[in-house]
Amino acid sequence: MLWYKSWLDTRWRFLIPLAILSINAWGLVIEYAPVAKVFTSIRVESTGSGVLGRAIQEALDAERTYPGYIWYQWFRQNLMQIGTLCAALLGSGNLLSGPTGSALFTLSMPASRNRWLAVRATMGLGQSFALALVPSLVFPLMSPAIGQHYDFATAIVHVICAFAVSAVFFSLAFLLSTVFPDIPRPLVIACGVAIVLGLIETEFDLHGLFRVMSGSTYFHSGSLPWAGLLISGVLSAALLGGAAMNIARKDF
Amino acid sequence: MAETFVIETADLKKDYGGVEAVRGLNLQVPVGSIYGLLGRNGAGKTTTIKVLLGMAYSTSGVARVFGLAASEPRASVEIRRRTGFVSEDKDLYDSMTVEQIVRFTAAFFPRWRGDLASRYLRLFELPPDRKVGTLSRGTRAKLALLLALCRGAELLVLDEPTSGLDPAVSEEVLKALVTHVASEAMTVFLSSHRIAEIDQIADHVAIIDQGRAVVAGTLDDIRDSYRRIQLVFDGGAPERPFRAPGVIRVQRTGRVLTILSSRGAEAVLDEARALRPASVDVLPLTLKEIFLETVKAED
Repeated sequence: MLWYKSWLDTRWRFLIPLAILSINAWGLVIEYAPVAKVFTSIRVESTGSGVLGRAIQEALDAERTYPGYIWYQWFRQNLMQIGTLCAALLGSGNLLSGPTGSALFTLSMPASRNRWLAVRATMGLGQSFALALVPSLVFPLMSPAIGQHYDFATAIVHVICAFAVSAVFFSLAFLLSTVFPDIPRPLVIACGVAIVLGLIETEFDLHGLFRVMSGSTYFHSGSLPWAGLLISGVLSAALLGGAAMNIARKDF
Repeated sequence: MAETFVIETADLKKDYGGVEAVRGLNLQVPVGSIYGLLGRNGAGKTTTIKVLLGMAYSTSGVARVFGLAASEPRASVEIRRRTGFVSEDKDLYDSMTVEQIVRFTAAFFPRWRGDLASRYLRLFELPPDRKVGTLSRGTRAKLALLLALCRGAELLVLDEPTSGLDPAVSEEVLKALVTHVASEAMTVFLSSHRIAEIDQIADHVAIIDQGRAVVAGTLDDIRDSYRRIQLVFDGGAPERPFRAPGVIRVQRTGRVLTILSSRGAEAVLDEARALRPASVDVLPLTLKEIFLETVKAED
């Protein structure tokens, strides 16, 4: 019943983004042919050395091939941005009662606060993983329909990278929700942190969380960002631990 | 520990950021009693209940339910397994239907009384398919009561169960509660600021004011021990302090001296006779008068 309650509390925050992301992924597959035509016709002498120039060059270099197009458009952009937003959304809200309930009724049940929290966190992380996985499976499954191929294993590796970092933002929103038991404030703060980190990473060309999330090293060199994945895992665990500590000593 | 008392608190204190909500509360709730916790708004009733059910942590002192420490998380889970609870705001999950929330709650309690649930659903005319959030306040209160009564609990904790309800629904809720308690072996711990409600159903009472119990005992004992003694003199009433134990207040109005005693009238009468009053009247107090007098005395 704890799972059922947790599902009821988060289902629309999960199902709506899942539908949007899946349609988006399907759209990318369908759009490939016209986009590829455009890319083959583009001739660029120099994109410059600035942030924008580097981004354009990266896009041009990547999107010369179908796997590169999928990586850049999906794993490097859409999933990274929407996935972060959705993870923060799933981590936000009143963790013990849901959006339209009361913590007192929840706390009158014979289940410990830690158990409620563990179920809610597992549900949210599972949903974040599904948001990365299910739309990404569109590529290996549907690419043959347009005469292309996208490797299943490659998709899974990118999904793992995307999930590991989205879990950090889920956990951050989760921790913030123990202080602000509503959806907007944890969501806005977690997204604000993500935007600032993203800007710093882009401006200074750093190997930060979002580079781990995009699976950039795997795309360019075939190696997994182990250190980044480990750091993401540790960060998520620390943030979730902080949330558990906050809830354990909170007066309702 | 033999469970002669279902709830016990000793010097229980709770403060929220420097504001003392409970200040050294001592309570003993006997097994099988209907114990009324009577107090004004903000007296510390809800905070006490939250501490007992592990929803808030005491600052100091002891709070035990079924002999288990309420502040210990594992014990708190066991306490709640054996307790039915209705909160002041009748907090439930608005997005669930009546049927869903009944099934949800039932899953947590191995001794859930499905037969009673069906009976109360009919008795209270609760619509199974309606969302909880769309129910009227009265219907919501009945649903909250159903969810508490059917847990198969040994203890029922009700925080202002009729708060915000019209007199007809209040009466219906109280009647259902009394009928249920009469047929099931259980203890009821009921907080209220409605004196008539406590007077109607409780057999034990504690009057709580500013976080402390100022009066506690069986309702009969309390009624028996509180007396108003009126002494009428031929001339002006003498200005004289009374030293008899239990004197709460002495009021002098013209020829009349009124003494309020919490330990019967005898000791006061012994002392009063020396003043040679023209007439003496000993009057019993209602619970309402006792409440108002004791709470006033604390101010």
